[in-house]
Amino acid sequence: MNNLSTFINRGVSRRKFLAGAGASAGTAAALALAGCGGSTESMIPTPTPPTTSFTDVDVLNFALNLEYLEAQFYLYAATGSGLEASEITAGSASSYQNVGSVTLGNAAAVPDLTPSQQEILNEIAFEEQAHVKFLRSALGSAAVPMPDIDLSFFGPLAVAAKITTAATGAGSFNPFASFDAFLVGAFIFEDVGVTAYSGAAPLISAAGVASGYLTAAAGILAVEAYHAGYVRTSLTGRAIAAGSAAAYPYLGDANLVENLRATLTVGNSAAPSTTGSVETLLTLPTSLTSPSAIVAASAADAVGFARTVDQVLHIVYGSPTVGAKGGGFFPNGVNSIFATTTA
Amino acid sequence: MANQETQLLDDIIVTSRRKMLTLGVASLAGLAIGASAPSAEAATAFYTDADILNFALNLEYLEANFYYLAAFGTTIDKANFASTAAGAPPIALSGTVGTPGTVSGGSLVPFSTIQVASYAIETAVEEGKHVQLLLSALGSSAVAQPAINLGTSFQTLATAAKIPGGSGFSPYASDEAFLVGAYVFEDVGVTAYHGAASLLTSSANLTTAAGILAVEAYHAGLVRTTINYIDPDGTGIGSYTNLISTLRASLSQAALLGAAPSAYDSNPDDFGLATFPVSLGGGSAVTATRLTDADSTNVVAFARNTTQVLNIVTGGGAVNGTTAVSPAMGVFFPAGMNAGPNGFK
Repeated sequence: MNNLSTFINRGVSRRKFLAGAGASAGTAAALALAGCGGSTESMIPTPTPPTTSFTDVDVLNFALNLEYLEAQFYLYAATGSGLEASEITAGSASSYQNVGSVTLGNAAAVPDLTPSQQEILNEIAFEEQAHVKFLRSALGSAAVPMPDIDLSFFGPLAVAAKITTAATGAGSFNPFASFDAFLVGAFIFEDVGVTAYSGAAPLISAAGVASGYLTAAAGILAVEAYHAGYVRTSLTGRAIAAGSAAAYPYLGDANLVENLRATLTVGNSAAPSTTGSVETLLTLPTSLTSPSAIVAASAADAVGFARTVDQVLHIVYGSPTVGAKGGGFFPNGVNSIFATTTA
Repeated sequence: MANQETQLLDDIIVTSRRKMLTLGVASLAGLAIGASAPSAEAATAFYTDADILNFALNLEYLEANFYYLAAFGTTIDKANFASTAAGAPPIALSGTVGTPGTVSGGSLVPFSTIQVASYAIETAVEEGKHVQLLLSALGSSAVAQPAINLGTSFQTLATAAKIPGGSGFSPYASDEAFLVGAYVFEDVGVTAYHGAASLLTSSANLTTAAGILAVEAYHAGLVRTTINYIDPDGTGIGSYTNLISTLRASLSQAALLGAAPSAYDSNPDDFGLATFPVSLGGGSAVTATRLTDADSTNVVAFARNTTQVLNIVTGGGAVNGTTAVSPAMGVFFPAGMNAGPNGFK
C-alpha cells in the first residue's frame, strides 16, 4: 500500500473526519432539510461509511467495480461481446492482481431491435465502457482489475423479486431476450448507479475535491441519471402505449425489482423491512391529468436519493446478510476494501 | 421555522474553506481528470453557500414557473383546479432579498398524449418542490422571485438558434413544442448544479445539491428520450435540439472571457440528439444516439460556472465582448437575477 501513500496523504485530513463523523453528516443533512414541506423524516438515508480508514482511491475503485459490471452487461446486450482484455487488467500497484472472468449465462446481443433501439444500446454500452476507461486512467497503477462477474444472476434475482418462479431455463427471466426484457435488466442497475455516486460524493476528501475527483464523480452521477431517466421513461412510455399494466408486464416487473432492492437494503436479514426505502415506484398514467414517476427522488423535496456503500453491496450481492463477502453479480466479491457488508 | 435553517446557514457562512476552494476549482481546467469541467467561478471573492443556493433558486423559479404554466396554466404562487388536482401546492413567495418581479407569458399546453402530459405534471411538481426546498433552507436569506419572461423569450431564443419559424415559436402550442421548450432548460440545470457542487462547503448542502443534480439529469434524460421516440430520425424536433445545443455552447463559450471565438464549435460543451459514431469493445465504429449530454471521451456530464449559465439564460447578457456584465439581463430574466451583496447575477 505504500504506492498509494501520495493519495492517502492528500486525503487524510478530511478522511478522519468522515470516518468518524458519518452520523453527524447525516444529522446535518436532516437539519438542512428539516423545514421543508413539513417533513422531518430524512429522505436521504443516514450515511454509515465504513469506520476503517479509506482513501479517495478506495472510493474510486469501488465505483470501478460497479462500472465493470454495467459495462459488461451493456456491451454484451449491444454487441454480444464484452470489455477487451486490456480494459480489465490490474494496475501494477493494486493489491488485487487476479483478473476475474465473466459467467455469461444468457448474455448475448439482444435480438430483433429496431435501428433506433440498437443505437440506444450502442450509446449506453459506449458510455459505460468509457467510464471504465476513465476511472482506470484516473486511478493509473492503483486501478483494481475486474472481479469475477456473474451475468447469469439475473435469473435467481428475478425469482427473489417474484417476477417469475424459474431461475433458469424455460420461464426464467432473461434480460437479453428482447428490448423490453433488456429495459428491466438495465433498470436493476441504473437507479443504483445514481444513488451510489450520490452516496460517494461526500466521501471524497477535500484534497480530492481540489483534484477534480468530486466534479468527475458528480459528472458521472449525472450520466447515470440520464441513463436511469431513459430507462424509466421507456418503460413508462411503452406501458402507456400498451394501454394497461397487464398488456405490458415489464413495468410491474421493474417495480418488483424496486421492492426487492428495498428489502435487501433497509432492514437486512435480522429485521426485514422496507421502511425508509429509497425507491420511487413507477406509475402507469392513464389520463392527461395523471403524473408519471420518472424521477426517483424523495416525495417531500424531489431530491434524488443516496445509498451507502453497504446498501449498494446488498443489492449487487443479492443478499441482505451483514458480513456477506460476495454473491449475486459478484460471486467472489468486489475488489475493494469495502467488499464485506458491515451494516 | 426559519431559525434552524438560518442558524445552519450562519454556520455554513465560514470563509475558511472558501479560499482553498477557489484555488482548487480554478486549477481544475488544466487537469486531465476534469477534462470536461470548465474553469470554474472566480468572480466573487467571498461568496457563501447561500449565494450559490440563491443562484440555484433563481433558476428553479424559472423552471418551476415554466412547468406550472405549461402543465396547469398558472404560476407557482397561485393555485387552480389543475394544480390542486395534481397535488402541486401554491408556493408562498417568501424570498425578500433583491427586487421582486412578475412572470409574463406562458399558458396551458393543449396536451394530446398521456406520455407528454404526465411528464409535464410530474416535472412541474418536482421543480416546485425544489423552489420550496431552497426557500425553506435559505430562510430570510432567500432571494425574491425576479422578473421572468416565459413568452417572447422563447421566440428570441428560437430565432437566435435558427429554429425554422423561430420568431413565432411557442413552447405552449403542442406536445412537441413543449418538449423543445423543456429541452432549453433541462441540460442547463444539470450543468449549473454540476458546476456548483464543488463550490459548496457544507457536506449537507453538497448531498442535497447532488440529489437535485440527479433529478435534473433524470428530467433531461426524460426529455431527450421522449424527443428521440417521437423523432428517431432527427428530421423534426430532434434537429431543433442540435440547434439549441449549438447556441448554448456558443453562449457558454463566450462567457469564458478571453477565449478565442474560433473555439466555439471545436470543443462544444453541449450536444443535441444527432447520432455519433462509437467503437464498442474495440470493434469497428457503430452509430449511437446522444441521449446523454456529455463529452465523447470520458462521458462525464458537463459543468458550467455561473457566468456561463447566466450568459445562456440571458441570451448573451452576461458578457460584452471580453468584459463581464453584471447584472446580466435579457431573455428569461429581463431585469436580471436577484442575489445577495456577494452573490451571482
